[in-house]
Amino acid sequence: MTAPTWILQASGLNKQYGPGCPRCQQFTGPAHNNSQCPICNTVHACVDAGFTLHQGEVLGIVGESGSGKSTLLQMVNLATPADSGHIWYREPRTPDAEPVDLLQMDAYRSRHFRNDRLGIVYQRPELGLNMRFTVGGNVAEKLLLANWRHVGNIRARIRELMEQTELPPERIDDAPHTFSGGMLQRVQIAKALSSSPSLLLLDEVTSGLDLSVQARVLDLIRRIQWEQQMTMLLVSHDLGVIKQLARRTIVMKNGHIVESGLTDQILEDPQHPYTQLLVSSAL
Amino acid sequence: MSTTPEQLYNFGFIDEDSKREVRRQILKAIALPGHQVPFASRDLPIARGWGTGGLQITMAIIDANDILKVIDQGDDESVNAVNLRRLLQRTTGVTTTVDTTAASIIQTRHRIPEEPMRRDQILVLQVPMVDPLRWVEPNLERATVMHGESDYGRMWVYMYESVVKAGDLRIATQYPVIVAGRYMMDTTPIPRWDVMRLHNAEALFLFGAGREKRIYAVPPYTTIEPLQFEDFRFKTEFVAGQICARCGAQDTFLTSHFVVDTTNPAGGYWRTSCSDTSFCDKRVLVNTTNQEAPQ
Repeated sequence: MTAPTWILQASGLNKQYGPGCPRCQQFTGPAHNNSQCPICNTVHACVDAGFTLHQGEVLGIVGESGSGKSTLLQMVNLATPADSGHIWYREPRTPDAEPVDLLQMDAYRSRHFRNDRLGIVYQRPELGLNMRFTVGGNVAEKLLLANWRHVGNIRARIRELMEQTELPPERIDDAPHTFSGGMLQRVQIAKALSSSPSLLLLDEVTSGLDLSVQARVLDLIRRIQWEQQMTMLLVSHDLGVIKQLARRTIVMKNGHIVESGLTDQILEDPQHPYTQLLVSSAL
Repeated sequence: MSTTPEQLYNFGFIDEDSKREVRRQILKAIALPGHQVPFASRDLPIARGWGTGGLQITMAIIDANDILKVIDQGDDESVNAVNLRRLLQRTTGVTTTVDTTAASIIQTRHRIPEEPMRRDQILVLQVPMVDPLRWVEPNLERATVMHGESDYGRMWVYMYESVVKAGDLRIATQYPVIVAGRYMMDTTPIPRWDVMRLHNAEALFLFGAGREKRIYAVPPYTTIEPLQFEDFRFKTEFVAGQICARCGAQDTFLTSHFVVDTTNPAGGYWRTSCSDTSFCDKRVLVNTTNQEAPQ
């Protein structure tokens, strides 16, 4: 049996907000329970982060608020430029092709990459959707960027995606503000899937939803992952969500990855004191 | 010898350094068709929004040997056109004309003259809103990045929404186009009738926005592609059966106006006529003298 090929390999990712000083390392990190340097006020949002993501795998990133998990996700989404490091991407459709470093792409190519190969679902729908456009218009954006120029075909594809994400297709021309929170998350998922991405990024997708809606959204993500063998990077502070979806998990605290491994292993036998605290408080 | 107040100003009103700066930006705009080039818009003796952008371009490029035509809504005699023409004429002393074929520089708002323009002519357009992305991205900084990356997806969604809401592409004016396959450009308040007349035209088109401090250009023989879908094509305005009440034209851009019946306050009627008045006058003359009709 051959090992599944990786599609994304990140290493040495750093992101700081501020100038930094020689004493930053002394005062920040999980050991000091602080990511902001008290001397120069620089926030070390992500320090030397790295991971490997295999095709068809769901990798969870868990941690408390301010731990750097969303920064890491946004660096992969090429929306936040990393200060240093590499994100190697291997195209799953052409596995023999040489991997490319996403951080070396110019703005024009990275925008095209983001549109064609990545899909993202945010916690707050207004970040992922334009509330002035209709639901159909929002889903159509990625198709139009991919040079779809036939309104009939575009609308047929939107309806197909709406059915796939359990949204009523007859509401294609309704405004997003007439949809409930759970439905808006599904609209975001439909938009993210419209370009058949290689990698789906999920940023706290179920936060702020009530339990029954959460379960429905999670079921949908699980079904899509199963049916399309979609590779996903899932950020959540909720271990329950991570447990349901992610095969492997990395735990972040104060901008550092403190532990990584199989999700079951992390939940049953956490090694790092912070992970132990996280697991004991969740279960 | 007495001196008129206008003669106390520099040739073309604005100072030579300002003209040089405008000309430099015009050259840059011509080198990057459709790209909005910032320029230091000067104060003029007319209010911003009344054609100061176009006026500064004309003032920067005009020469004593040029023949100038100024139109507004296709009309040589509208208030705006008359005042701009008078200012330019008094501060440069150039010859002015209403004949499109005789002019070397034509300053215009809203229209491209009906008669095809030649390679030795320049059309200067007064622009109210420069950026087509303003409809979908009000933040100027983000819109600039979108232009830089050819990120026009949201504008396409705007077009899609137009089809969904109105059943067709219902953008009457400021129709967005892609210039030379690269930049998206606002076609100023020219009607859709004139949009495709920019495509591969012989003349140079210069667009100036004084209030927004931007210049852009469509050089001769540049491709212009209006945003359209395979099943919803770009269309020009056309109302079957409408003809010009003066010259009988059916192949020009027509405007309508209400004719008041002075004998009956409740009376009156709507009349259509050519928007390009000098072209209409020529045709009227041809009709009355049986000369060869202008093309």
